[in-house]
Amino acid sequence: MRRRTAGTADPVLFNGHLTGRFDSGPCVRRSAEAPATGTVRRSDPQPPGAEVDPHRPAASSVMESWREERTRSVEDNEMSLPAIAAAYTTILRGLGEDPQRQGLLKTPWRAATAMQFFTKGYQETIIDVLNDAIFDEDHDEMVIVKDIDMFSMCEHHLVPIFGRVHIGYLPNKRVLGLSKLARIVEIYSRRLQVQERLTKQIAVAITEALQPTGVGVVIEATHMCMVMRGVQKMNSKTVTSTMLGVFREDPKTRDEFLRLIRS
Amino acid sequence: MEYHHASEMNGAVEDYLKMSKHNGWCRDEKESKNAADEDKLPHIEKAYTTILSELGEDVDREGLLRTPLRAAKAMQFLTKGYKETVQDILNEAIFDENHEEMVIVKDIDLFSLCEHHLVPFFGKAHIAYLPNKKVVGLSKLARIVEIYSRRLQVQERLTKQIASAISEALEASGVAVVIEAVHMCMVMRGVQKMNASTVTSVMLGTFN
Repeated sequence: MRRRTAGTADPVLFNGHLTGRFDSGPCVRRSAEAPATGTVRRSDPQPPGAEVDPHRPAASSVMESWREERTRSVEDNEMSLPAIAAAYTTILRGLGEDPQRQGLLKTPWRAATAMQFFTKGYQETIIDVLNDAIFDEDHDEMVIVKDIDMFSMCEHHLVPIFGRVHIGYLPNKRVLGLSKLARIVEIYSRRLQVQERLTKQIAVAITEALQPTGVGVVIEATHMCMVMRGVQKMNSKTVTSTMLGVFREDPKTRDEFLRLIRS
Repeated sequence: MEYHHASEMNGAVEDYLKMSKHNGWCRDEKESKNAADEDKLPHIEKAYTTILSELGEDVDREGLLRTPLRAAKAMQFLTKGYKETVQDILNEAIFDENHEEMVIVKDIDLFSLCEHHLVPFFGKAHIAYLPNKKVVGLSKLARIVEIYSRRLQVQERLTKQIASAISEALEASGVAVVIEAVHMCMVMRGVQKMNASTVTSVMLGTFN
């Protein structure tokens, strides 16, 4: 059972279930030769699955570190576009196509822009999305937002993953604007991802922003890498879940959540 | 095998050659096409490494270490239709049959790549034809769909290519092809309409 502390500033412990920084995974780096854009190179984040420091930072310092988060910028996108487009031209030629035929003339640019859109999660920070939408509310019943459409890219094959995300949390005097849950999903899903990591990142982000009593995230998705190629199983779906806090400890709470998202 | 006479063995060898000639030119061609694929793989791989690093990712992290190779192979698989011809797959499966009623094969799962954004589109193809004394093995219709869909495509052209291929191979009285597909380039990006699907159809001969 989680230890509840009196003040709001104290960190919330979840029996060590939180493993590492929520933003583990990609480290956005530019080469030293790139023109200076005034941004700071960030040190490597903790690898996924790393054990968390037992002295969890308070919410405000988590927000501070989110504020300093280095992201890809719109200028970065513009600078990379020609290189990505050239790479796609090489790919088209390598596949035996003629990049000069009418249908393919602008494809490298379109594909490059599309790929940048599919990874736009690297451009956004949680702090931008959350900053104003946390409200004090005397509500401690379950809040669920379900059937959030999710689109991601498999980091192993660079092929789409799509599905639905269901999020539930038990507020602890603080609630979040509902669309912000969907925006958190967008930030983490529009990246090169692995479904397990995506589920955990969403759950951890909500936990660190709100310090709720518990969070549950369930993702049900279809992986094109399994459907279009490889084993080619058309109807297979992958389901992953992360249950934190009272969702993990109390079977009744978890059951209620799972029942409510099923209908 | 035991051969009592050299001519027997020659006969067996001849039979083998005849058998493998039929598949064998295809097999030789296939081997050379596969070799060409292998040659191109490093270039495609390098292109994917560039794409990953330009997107701001760390190409040395564990999850991405072999991604360029996997993505290159995946892309070659998704465009394998370029290497296949209708002749290869149809050659033996056309049968003379006194049947002139409509034959329909529907709900053929279809996966292709949008040639404009290199993003998948997928759906179902429904094929109907009115035989003119010749029928085709049913799975061959699905194989024709595979050949043309595993390419960089536009849905309109895909539908027409399937219809034309069946029409030419069978000399049927009529051919109809309907494709209903969801385009990820519309769903995942751009207008982002989750439930939109695109339907195209081609009607040839008596279907027209």
